[in-house]
Amino acid sequence: MKTLIIGEVVDNKLSSGALEIVTKANDLGLDYEIVTVGSEESPNIGSESFKNTYMKCSENKLSLGSVADKLKNIIEENTISLVLAPSTYVGRDLIAFLSVDFKSSQISNVINFEIEGESVITSNSINGGESEYNSKISSPNKFLLIRPKSFEEAALDLNINFETVEITSEDPEVFDIFIEEKTGPQLEDSKIVISAGRGMVDSENLSLVQDLASKLNAAIGGTRAIVDAGWMPYSQQVGQTGKTVKPDVYIALGISGATQHQVGMKDSKYIIAVNKDEEAPIFQIADLGLVADTLSIVPKITENL
Amino acid sequence: MKIAVCAKQIPDPALEITYNGGNINRPDEQVLDDTDRYGIEVALQLKEKFDAEVTVISMGSLGTEKGIQQALQMGPDGALVLEDDSLSGSNSLMTANVLSELSKKVEADITIFGTESTDGYSGVIPQQVSRMLGVPCISYIKAVDIDESVTLTRQTSTGSEKVVMPSNCVLSVTAGGVEPRYPNFKDIMAAKSKPIERISIADINYDAQQNLEFVDIKDVSTTKQGEKIIDEGEGFQIIIDKLKELKAI
Ligand SMILES: Cc1cc2nc3c(=O)[nH]c(=O)nc-3n(C[C@H](O)[C@H](O)[C@H](O)COP(=O)(O)OP(=O)(O)OC[C@H]3O[C@@H](n4cnc5c(N)ncnc54)[C@H](O)[C@@H]3O)c2cc1C
Ligand SMILES: Nc1ncnc2c1ncn2[C@@H]1O[C@H](COP(=O)(O)O)[C@@H](O)[C@H]1O
Repeated sequence: MKTLIIGEVVDNKLSSGALEIVTKANDLGLDYEIVTVGSEESPNIGSESFKNTYMKCSENKLSLGSVADKLKNIIEENTISLVLAPSTYVGRDLIAFLSVDFKSSQISNVINFEIEGESVITSNSINGGESEYNSKISSPNKFLLIRPKSFEEAALDLNINFETVEITSEDPEVFDIFIEEKTGPQLEDSKIVISAGRGMVDSENLSLVQDLASKLNAAIGGTRAIVDAGWMPYSQQVGQTGKTVKPDVYIALGISGATQHQVGMKDSKYIIAVNKDEEAPIFQIADLGLVADTLSIVPKITENL
Repeated sequence: MKIAVCAKQIPDPALEITYNGGNINRPDEQVLDDTDRYGIEVALQLKEKFDAEVTVISMGSLGTEKGIQQALQMGPDGALVLEDDSLSGSNSLMTANVLSELSKKVEADITIFGTESTDGYSGVIPQQVSRMLGVPCISYIKAVDIDESVTLTRQTSTGSEKVVMPSNCVLSVTAGGVEPRYPNFKDIMAAKSKPIERISIADINYDAQQNLEFVDIKDVSTTKQGEKIIDEGEGFQIIIDKLKELKAI
């Protein structure tokens, strides 16, 4: 099945979401090409094993509508039937635009898919990951948004050989671009993740989490409740509308365990939860649960490590 | 300025969701999706500054219309809702088709959405509607600064960026960017006399089709038989021992 994978340039490289989809595409033996979207000068995104077109946008324009116009042409000219994108902000915008152009609804939150003749069977996670919904798409064009971490990242030798398409447009201007500083271990690739919830009681107590994380060389995450409250930047949110993580050890501190949080962390290899409420749902998915007060136990762990 | 703002009615999230085939069972009484309160708040702030007319738009089984009332209680001027049995189990494109037509019917300059609904969370409908209407989509808005012009701060994967709101566009608003207002008794009473126009699919230009076929739903919820220990002072040591056993330290 002729396939297009939509990728992004992140830190001059092909995004992890795209590399995860490449693994699945290779497993299924799909005939695919990649279109990468970004604004960097000469990223390492090309490969000998597939065709890669780079849509180079101005970072000062909101140009995804124009990118979608170009993608539409590529899909038509190459009679592409399956279009796959990671469920990121950029991926969601582009897949949505294309689904309108081709009058074919997308499927979101896809965690796996298989090819059956000319059709695609998808599994997508619903209800905070508690159920898996299976659908069949038989329309000529199929658009899938793939949840991060559904597949392992492909190891590829990336280079700078690709075709560049400059995107110029009348799109709205963008200004005051703010890049959040990345310090310390990152959520996506840390072996240990420590996440905080409202049960850390006050934003000031996050220093306790920070101290523990430094000792364990762990990345720090949080629930939407504390991100909305401004305790932590959005980039650290774990869950349905935040990041998906699969570390060796996930430590949930003062997190109730709403399904929307669970969906982003329940596949961690080992889950430790600390909550003062014995009935907190997080205990249902924890390997080790401590019914305890975060404020007293967290500093004690740090001191005794 | 005319504004259309989405209000989706959903089953009370506190209750367990059940399915009939591939569709969520929708009780007669549905509530306003909390996610839409943020978009409604933005619409109302624009109304206060620019004297805009704000119309709630909604699609789906209406039932007692509790969710629509909850939206109107916040302050919009009226609602335009579409209920049609043939739309049950709609895919995102069908929903987007209806919502874009509702936006056209109220001649909206600005159409406002949440970023994703609590029950459906396909998270693409605002972008689809913008494409159908042929206007820019300013997605994932996390802050709004209203002056003579309106500056919108968008969440991006690396941080944020700002955009001046075009005069004709679609917005999607994330939770947390603005603080939704709570209606008081007077607002609740006033909402009861606000106009709600009810139309059906025959009243709009509808041409979307179902291209997704439901196969099955599997329950994959995992409850682990993990250990649960009540801390009696040595809890920290249990965690440290476990981290050692896991070779995390
Ligand atoms: C569409 C949608 C998308 C969402 N996406 C996400 C998402 O991506 N990520 C996410 O996390 N949430 C998401 N949510 C929100 C989610 O439903 C929950 O509201 C949120 O996860 C709760 O965060 P919390 O556990 O920090 O807070 P709470 O639910 O308030 O839980 C706090 C917990 O701390 C415990 N506690 C309090 N004090 C102490 C103490 N001193 N010691 C120990 N324990 C204590 C309490 O017992 C309680 O269990 C989403 C919601 C919706 C509707
Ligand atoms: N049936 C509906 N009626 C009104 N608004 C809706 C409806 N479905 C979705 N929306 C809007 O579209 C956004 C995205 O929805 P979804 O694609 O279901 O995640 C929601 O936050 C709502 O603002």
